[in-house]
Amino acid sequence: MIEVREITKRFGRKEVLKGVSFTAEKGEITCLIGVNGVGKTTIMNAIMNLTPIQSGEILIDGQKINKRSYEKIMFIPDAITMLPQMTIQQAMQFMDDFYESWNEKRAKELLDFFKLEEGNKISNLSKGNTAKINLLLGLALDVDYLLMDEPFSGIDIFSREQIADVFTSHLVEDRGVIITTHEISDIEHLIDKAVILNDGTVVKSFYTEEMREKEGKSVIDVLREVHLQ
Amino acid sequence: MINFLKLLRFELDRFFKLYVVLIVVTIVSQLAGLVIISKLYMRRAREEIVVNQNSMESFLETYGQFSLANLTHSLWFVGPIALCIVSLLIYVFFIWYRDWFGKNTFIYRLLMLPTERLNVYLAKAMTIFTMVLGLVSLQIVLIYLEMNLVRLLVPRDFRLDLPIQGVIHSFDYFYILIPNSFIGFLISYGTGLMALFVLFTAILIERSYRLKGVFIGGLYVTASFLVFISPLLLSEIFLPRFFYPTEMILLEVFAGLIVMAGAIWLGHYLLNKKIRV
Repeated sequence: MIEVREITKRFGRKEVLKGVSFTAEKGEITCLIGVNGVGKTTIMNAIMNLTPIQSGEILIDGQKINKRSYEKIMFIPDAITMLPQMTIQQAMQFMDDFYESWNEKRAKELLDFFKLEEGNKISNLSKGNTAKINLLLGLALDVDYLLMDEPFSGIDIFSREQIADVFTSHLVEDRGVIITTHEISDIEHLIDKAVILNDGTVVKSFYTEEMREKEGKSVIDVLREVHLQ
Repeated sequence: MINFLKLLRFELDRFFKLYVVLIVVTIVSQLAGLVIISKLYMRRAREEIVVNQNSMESFLETYGQFSLANLTHSLWFVGPIALCIVSLLIYVFFIWYRDWFGKNTFIYRLLMLPTERLNVYLAKAMTIFTMVLGLVSLQIVLIYLEMNLVRLLVPRDFRLDLPIQGVIHSFDYFYILIPNSFIGFLISYGTGLMALFVLFTAILIERSYRLKGVFIGGLYVTASFLVFISPLLLSEIFLPRFFYPTEMILLEVFAGLIVMAGAIWLGHYLLNKKIRV
């Protein structure tokens, strides 16, 4: 389980996170929802120790993040984090060189699934294909938790559909996923848990299925309520 | 350790193309320079002796014998060395900043590797250091080549064969790059490595605190410099002629080690606790 406890974060005088707490379980897709600038990416960065927090605590399976944690949890930022001059094959080799959890078989499977050629240079790929490779480099690791920052942002409808298919496949199953979005309509049907952020705090956190069954509300309905308050 | 070596190889690969360019420019410029300068010298000799009917002695009195010092004082020789030094100095900054400002922010990947983040820092430092040693070694090999080439280009009577130390000392600052003793080597390269670590840590201070970090980084570099020269200051200002030269060297080595260890420790701390992508 990923536990985010009362984290605060300031950029200069601006307090971006004002005591954010939530948990993300294995086998569930947790979605952080909020408008641009609400601090979703900052939370992801904080979980991965890519930005310092002022207070609070983040635990991954009860432990603070350390070098071994990166074999257990992976972050897929909204832009690819491989050198543009690398080919897909070289990027995969890089991952293989450094990560014990790299699963070559799964990487090949994903390559086929996305219909991509190993010899292509990353800088020559379209935006949609770059997003797919970015996803591939994260998904092909046998990690327990995956963090994805706006995986659907700015890509074409067909690539979106392909990426959405990944979420319902065995490639994501059993893992804990935290995903951010400011466009919930794309992924509402995929997520298990929603964490709504506003003004640096968690305003509501709920299981989508439970909300639908008990209160008959979709995520968008709840969002509307929150923003109208 | 294995991850450090993998990172080192990776960083060396990233600089490889530019490095090859520097090597080729150095080789071509110095060898072409030697050919051109020696040809000009011999043409002048021919003009003076054959056309103007002057004696060889009077020519040598006026123009001196040709030696590799003629080359080392020319832009053909100094130019590529300056280019290499400037390129590597720029690369000290570029090796970090390109990972933040490149088209794809590679720093995410580097910081998420399942290895000590200090390995990234040390691999980048060792890349620069290896490149420097490589270029200096190339220069030594080139000097040997040039010593042999000059024998082919200039007849013995017109030539002064300098030993390699003579060639090195014919160029003012060359003894810093190629010291003639092991202690000299330790002092030159130890100081260089220390300065490199201090600069790296200053860069990480800037990357951690951004605009505020520029100021803090400046203070940090100044403080490191003061600690490094503190034995000199001590002996100059407070205790004149108190230390023997060997004691001064030991104190300097000690101060240098403190600064170096401090830079690595601070770099390690910043990478783990303060760095921002």
